Amino acid sequence: MRLLRPKVCLLLLMALLPVTIVLGLMTGPLFISWADMWLILTGSGIANAQDTLVVEIIRLPRIILALLVGGILATCGALLQGLFRNPLADPALIGVSAGASVGASLVIVFGSLWFTNGVLLGLSAISMGAFLGALITSVIIFRLATGPRGTSVATMLLAGIAISALAGAATNTLGYLADNDMLRRMSLWQMGNLDGANWDRVGICGCAAILLAVLAPRESGALNAMLLGESEARHLGVNVEWLKRRLIIYSAIGVAISVAVAGVIAFVGLMIPHLIRLLVGPDHRHLIPLSAIAGAILLIAADTLARIVIAPAELPVGVVTAILGAPFFLWLLVLQRGRS
Amino acid sequence: MLKTRSIGLNIAGVPLLNNISISCPKGTVTALMGPNGAGKTSLLRVISGEYKASQGTVDINGRGANDWARPEIAKFMAVLPQSSTLDFAFTAEEVVALSRTPHNTGLSRDLEIISSALSMVDASYLADRSFVKLSGGEKQRVHLARVLAQIWEHCENQSSDGGILLLDEPSASFDLAHQIMLIEIVQKISTAGVTVIMVMHDLNLAAKCADQLVFMNSGECTAMGTVPELLTSEMIRKVYSVNAEVGLHPVDGTPLIII
Repeated sequence: MRLLRPKVCLLLLMALLPVTIVLGLMTGPLFISWADMWLILTGSGIANAQDTLVVEIIRLPRIILALLVGGILATCGALLQGLFRNPLADPALIGVSAGASVGASLVIVFGSLWFTNGVLLGLSAISMGAFLGALITSVIIFRLATGPRGTSVATMLLAGIAISALAGAATNTLGYLADNDMLRRMSLWQMGNLDGANWDRVGICGCAAILLAVLAPRESGALNAMLLGESEARHLGVNVEWLKRRLIIYSAIGVAISVAVAGVIAFVGLMIPHLIRLLVGPDHRHLIPLSAIAGAILLIAADTLARIVIAPAELPVGVVTAILGAPFFLWLLVLQRGRS
Repeated sequence: MLKTRSIGLNIAGVPLLNNISISCPKGTVTALMGPNGAGKTSLLRVISGEYKASQGTVDINGRGANDWARPEIAKFMAVLPQSSTLDFAFTAEEVVALSRTPHNTGLSRDLEIISSALSMVDASYLADRSFVKLSGGEKQRVHLARVLAQIWEHCENQSSDGGILLLDEPSASFDLAHQIMLIEIVQKISTAGVTVIMVMHDLNLAAKCADQLVFMNSGECTAMGTVPELLTSEMIRKVYSVNAEVGLHPVDGTPLIII
């Protein structure tokens, strides 16, 4: 039933990550060969100047952004699945992604009235709108689900569905008001895209990633206890109310920032923790770090594909993760159904 | 040592418990009994801190339950709920290992405790099996091992304050042999100083291992006392409205309920 030992899985993923990164750096409208890549990476002066520029200015920030966003999304997925004690939970489920869409759409439709040059910290006004939208939705949903007797996870799920529907309606209304160009930008943004990558975005995402990398693994023990049930976790000495709050804050920040820099990228947060759980089991001490690495690998690979399948044009990376992810996920479900 | 003083509990305006005062000295076994909906589980939940009592207080090892920090209390008090759902494919051994969350005893000592606890409930052979695929009785045995492992230090040796174990219908899904096993475990750990409070429906099983019986009905404590005092035909008629004969066990002389 356990396919891999955690250490073996870690080694495999750590071996796969650099390979994916280098392949990602090589691939694109301008193909760079292994030999040339080696010259660029080792920093020897004889590399082709144009190739070096393409790698350093365009591909490297994009790939690092994919790495960070993939890692953040997968980690947030693992945290939320633990929090909801449901292996099918994902950031989209509690309405955070939908809230981000409303924020982004608002800025796309009305932004030209408010901003002349809407760039702050390398984030466009659209990203700021998405970030605020995600954060506000998280707060609303958390408030709705928290009563005098604590935070109800079931209420949170239902509130998430309702808020998603509301946010969807709002986005559609905005789409009705939008002109053709705005509509195109709205739909592209909702499909997730890494083509706006730059070092500022990498920096912002890096901060969120470091924060999660430090804080999320500390919750492993408590999350494991939570899988038994909230009252069981309480009897094991876990302060469940504070744990829930911390997890919601972590995932809200992670999802909000990744949505702000890269749009809505589906399935990474859902699929990766699920896959890792199948490989090494549900123990969060392994699940969280392994999910982060696997999420990074998946998003780099998906982004590389997105850049080459219809080159010189690009597919939105969210479309690639969905095309790869959805059938894979269905296959996993069928596999599990067959086993149990 | 565990005491409740005039516990009252209202949830959403519905009175569930009224004026319950029980006292469970260190190393004793108390069986909470009574018809469905009598408030047995509610009382257990007030004691375990899951529900906050509307009136009254709970004393745990000489201190008010609210004065204990959760992680501290988790080191000596364990709770086995009636049923719990776990949808993640932990192995049985990993489920038991969760019990060591509040402790800092190191991996090798924890593994030792986990394996002893599993063997105590006759579940060593389940260690590497996926928990979600076990039968109901097997799951309950693994959970029993989990709560035992949580307070293992108190189950093994006399400790000054003694551990506390709260069991909610622990034997409900056990076969005959494992019901006997449960009684033996309860007797063994109470001898070591663990205070056990359990909700039970099987009067004969309770008669074999309880030092104290508490009969509850509609949220009130109807009667409290030792097994010979309380296990009588009149009491059973009063609490359950059932006519039963009470004899004596031919070998060990404990009361025997015949229905």
